[in-house]
Amino acid sequence: MNDQPGPNPAEPVAPPPYSAPARSFGAPREAGVPRMETVRVTAPDLARRAAMARTRRRLVVAAWAFAGLFLAVAGKLTLATVVAPLKPKLPEAVRVPEPDRAEPAGPRVERAMIVDRNNQILAVSLPTAELYANPREMIDPAEAAHRIKQAVPRLDEAEMRAHLSAAKAFVYLARRLSPREELAINGLGIPGVYFQPSERRHYPLGRVAAQVLGGVDVDEHGVAGVERFFDSRLTGSADPLRLSLDIRVQAVVREELAAAMAEFQAIGACGIVMDVRTGEVLAMVSLPDYDANAFGATPAEDRFNRAVTGMYEPGSTFKLQTAAMALDAGAVHIWDQFDAAHPIHIGRFTITDFEGKHRFLYLPEVLAYSSNLGAAHIALTAGAERQRAWLGAMGMFRRIGVELPEAGMPLAPPASNWKEAATMTIGFGHGIAVSPLHVVRGTAAIANGGLVVTPTLLARADGTPAEAVRVMQPATSDLMRKLMRLVVTEGYGKKAEVAGYFVGGKTGTAEKVGGHGYKKHANVSAFVSVFPMNAPRYAVYMMLDEPHGNASTGFFSTAGQVSAPAAGRVIARIGPMLGLLPETADAPTIEAALAIPLQPAHPGARAPTGLAAAPDHPRDAARERAPRRLPLVPATPTMPQDARHEAALAVPVAPAGYAVAADAAR
Amino acid sequence: MMEPRLWRETSFGLTAKLWQINWIYVLLLCALAAVGYAALYSVGGGSPAPYATRHALRFAFGLVLMLSVALVDIRLIARFAWPLYGLGVGLLVLVARFGHVGKGAQRWIEIGGLQLQPSELMKIFLVLALASWFHRASHERIGNPLFLVPPALAVLLPVGLILKEPNLGTAVITAVVGAAVFFAAGVRVWKFALIGLALALAAPLAYSHLHDYQRARITTFLHPESDPLGAGYNILQSKIALGSGGMWGKGFLQGSQAQLDFLPEKQTDFIFTTLAEEFGFVGALAAMGLLTLIVLGGFAIALRCRHSFGRLVALGIATNFFMYVFVNLAMVMGAIPVGGVPLPLVSHGGSAMLTTMLGFGVLMSVYVHRDVAFADQRDDL
Repeated sequence: MNDQPGPNPAEPVAPPPYSAPARSFGAPREAGVPRMETVRVTAPDLARRAAMARTRRRLVVAAWAFAGLFLAVAGKLTLATVVAPLKPKLPEAVRVPEPDRAEPAGPRVERAMIVDRNNQILAVSLPTAELYANPREMIDPAEAAHRIKQAVPRLDEAEMRAHLSAAKAFVYLARRLSPREELAINGLGIPGVYFQPSERRHYPLGRVAAQVLGGVDVDEHGVAGVERFFDSRLTGSADPLRLSLDIRVQAVVREELAAAMAEFQAIGACGIVMDVRTGEVLAMVSLPDYDANAFGATPAEDRFNRAVTGMYEPGSTFKLQTAAMALDAGAVHIWDQFDAAHPIHIGRFTITDFEGKHRFLYLPEVLAYSSNLGAAHIALTAGAERQRAWLGAMGMFRRIGVELPEAGMPLAPPASNWKEAATMTIGFGHGIAVSPLHVVRGTAAIANGGLVVTPTLLARADGTPAEAVRVMQPATSDLMRKLMRLVVTEGYGKKAEVAGYFVGGKTGTAEKVGGHGYKKHANVSAFVSVFPMNAPRYAVYMMLDEPHGNASTGFFSTAGQVSAPAAGRVIARIGPMLGLLPETADAPTIEAALAIPLQPAHPGARAPTGLAAAPDHPRDAARERAPRRLPLVPATPTMPQDARHEAALAVPVAPAGYAVAADAAR
Repeated sequence: MMEPRLWRETSFGLTAKLWQINWIYVLLLCALAAVGYAALYSVGGGSPAPYATRHALRFAFGLVLMLSVALVDIRLIARFAWPLYGLGVGLLVLVARFGHVGKGAQRWIEIGGLQLQPSELMKIFLVLALASWFHRASHERIGNPLFLVPPALAVLLPVGLILKEPNLGTAVITAVVGAAVFFAAGVRVWKFALIGLALALAAPLAYSHLHDYQRARITTFLHPESDPLGAGYNILQSKIALGSGGMWGKGFLQGSQAQLDFLPEKQTDFIFTTLAEEFGFVGALAAMGLLTLIVLGGFAIALRCRHSFGRLVALGIATNFFMYVFVNLAMVMGAIPVGGVPLPLVSHGGSAMLTTMLGFGVLMSVYVHRDVAFADQRDDL
């Protein structure tokens, strides 16, 4: 590199004009420097010297800058090699779920049976034998293989011959021999052939309840469903495991679902029947399903249990939650009217009604006609805080707690993102996704007097729920039952009506999310119902995934057209099985007690709080009145249900003759 | 001012010039080429074929070229600066029209079996032309914006042609080298700030005109891990190789990332990764130290030179070398987008080696002729 210092700019080094070159090459250094007396410094010389000096300064600046950049690179090098070296990412080993059971120490305990609530066998282990041999003890492998083939024709003679000729001390010849086959082979008396006792899980009902039962692997370890959840129980005790399922109900639900699925060419379906008081699940069907005996050969999409693993936007079935929440808090009354005339524009959303009425709707009308706008206004009136607290108490943000390892986590926006738009859309069941069983539990709580129960697949001896948490006043539940009944008598749920069972429910048609935004022609059409409404016992949920309307439904694939009729047929068939006979004698009386007008009259007197008033423009009024942050539901004692609700409904709304006739009948 | 015959005065003969060559600097260059030989020996699978031997032969040829150029009088070079510039532009136009298309870009021309990348030559010729322009300039004229228009155009023309090839990395380096000469010539700092501002404003527009692969480089530079099998693969594998080297490295011929072909282009653009993996942080830092010495040596030659032509030329060539090294190292470490820039004298590649050595030849000529006086030192006297 340069071993000589640069010229000092102050030094008079410029070659003088008319002189020899500045320096002779090879000559002593001093020879090149002109002697002082010959130097004449001129103005241009000074200018040039200044220019050279400036260039020199700038060169130094550039050198420093480059050195700095090199330092930065060296720093990066330090980071990349020593401080934070990047390690190659190796693909993670595939984790096979471990059976949650220690290998039993003693002789193998037979896996316990699984039975339904009526002791019908759902899963049973059968004793079988495994045939093995020691080829070294074989006298004539070909002869042995031939004779075994004669005894048990289903075995492959050539394969056995090959096995028996192998130079090993142990070969498996056949697994899962029946006792008869074992006896036949044993009778041959071939030396070197042995049996090992074994067992095989058998599901006599095949496809019925396949996803609930799950399945076992080749070593009889539960790998899905109840078999997996209760694996240690099933191997630890010989007592049959009694489930809450009623296999008759299960079969009916499956049959009706499969029929509806075929009729409307849906890609899937889900049906649930649950006892609303105890949380016992009587039926849980997910279609397409599979033969539980062929679990290992089943594609994953068929194993998928829509009832607990599938997360769907509940759609309008959530309007029951919205109405119950707002009524229970006293934020709205049944005679309040809500603007369903004007679409709501908020952010990038526009909320509209399907087949809208384009007018102000009374609260019962909002449910009966399933008005998104009405539900949005109701939700807004109650407020986001109350809505979150309510849905939280209803268990909509947690796993369902049923005894299935497949139970999934609902999807809900975080609290930070739960703004006005979310409040309104969740008010009519969009922008949140829960499993069908969540919807069933939430609806059951609304109908059963206000208790959230934990759904269970185990039969309960005493007819009480395992766990029940009160989330609303009984009076609110009474009111909601009437509104649910109204949906079936006057609203979109008419096709679910079954005479004598006082079905109440709510339709819900949600457009599926796919690609970008909602898919216009792919629906999840669900109907959630409870019967009988006068003394609620069972919740029935029927859902079709991507149904297609046909001529009989006017080419609508909405829940009222495709799911509600299926629910009605299920109720008509399972009611008698479950010991509920259609009520015909007292029907008018009961009907009158459950009736609620579509447009309830205002009780007249203005409520002292002012909240009860029915303003001309409820939304605007609600906005100015309702505090931004309403108190959380559980934190504060709920307002007692407005007594005027009962007063308002005390006036006979059914045709007078009905009531009189009923009275006369008594 | 000076009589022409003095250009050929006897004491300035070939032998004297040979003595004047800075042999220490030549040694540094040889050391760097030796590092390249070792690295190429390693990526060649512990064998001189196919890379290392050819590298050595090319360097030997380059060395002869460099020493030959070093003996050419710098004033002669200065006189032919603009014709050379014209030749470079002509070659660029030629490559644009008849060039050999390789790897999606039209960058090469073949002259008698020798592949040539005119953009590499162009940078040296541009430096010469700019230095020759500013050599004649007085302080007042440098202050005059109109005086700066021709050299600015002289920079923009080749930059535009190189961009068209397309070769973003070389275009940027060419522009930076040109800017460095402008800076050293004394152009006011605020003018650079103005240009920088204009570039910053034009960047979004330029981005929309970039080729897809260039955009992909910028995107994957920002998130290399997002696409480990696609365009981010190079950077990711390179970073993994760097990280696996650690402090002292895995040892010569032991680098698995490089040896086992995880690294693409390991013998060219990503050669530094092999060094870092096999010789670790310490080895890589030593190589960087060598590169730094060569860059700063170029600056020292510039400072030592007594004529502003030589100063500007030395600065331009040192800057060019620096930019190569910097862009390559930063690219390998994932600090800037991958740009297809080799590491000079280390990476495998004949054309780059020859042009680099040609540049060093001119630099050495500046050193040899550091004290000569130019006849036309000033045209405004």
